Amino acid sequence: MIKVTLKIVCDSGPIIHLDELNCLYLLEDFQEILIPETVHKEINRYRPSSFKKLSLPFNLSPGNIPDNAPLLTLCRIFSLDVGETEALALMEKNPQAIFLTDDASARMVAEQMRFKVHGTMGILIRAIRRGQMEAEEVLRILKDVPSQTTLYIKLSLLDEIILKIKKEYNL
Amino acid sequence: MKTIQTEIPEQLYKKALALVKDGWFRDEKDVFTEAIRRFLDTHRPELMEKFIRDDMEWGLHGHD
Repeated sequence: MIKVTLKIVCDSGPIIHLDELNCLYLLEDFQEILIPETVHKEINRYRPSSFKKLSLPFNLSPGNIPDNAPLLTLCRIFSLDVGETEALALMEKNPQAIFLTDDASARMVAEQMRFKVHGTMGILIRAIRRGQMEAEEVLRILKDVPSQTTLYIKLSLLDEIILKIKKEYNL
Repeated sequence: MKTIQTEIPEQLYKKALALVKDGWFRDEKDVFTEAIRRFLDTHRPELMEKFIRDDMEWGLHGHD
């Protein structure tokens, strides 16, 4: 499998959730993983093991607030925390990157700014398409999400996703 | 008004207390009410569901 030439900018949620599922290695598929300073601190506080397990292409970036006034205003209106705001400032400097977050407010701001944004579920399902995992393995992991992670997802929606994957891959 | 009892991380409580001490809120109860109100405003179920569905679509059929 050839790595995609995409950078990602990470909020703490997806790194923590993927690590809880032992799936952090899925981020190896990206060229560079940009982590703002405050997000790095948050991950170190809640999941210090995340940065130690693998040699992922992490790139710790200084924590800056957005230069773009509308973006900064949106961050404030949506009460984004410092880590999310720094991550969006990084997106401002790397607009071709994908922003990874599991926070609904941060995602809303990112979409408003027309940034590409996805979350833990997207990375897990993408792993099948990218040949990183078999569909059966992803299904097993998805079933573990409610019990093994701190990611909140409605159970009926999770069931629906599982069914859709089964249908898509004739399982 | 409804009374609830819950546990929160010590650090979170200290931050809420600091806002009260600085005079931004009358008491901790007001801090948590405001925090929950803002959370609920921005975490609408239909929107969270849409985000997950978008992710599923990208995961299955995206190009990057």
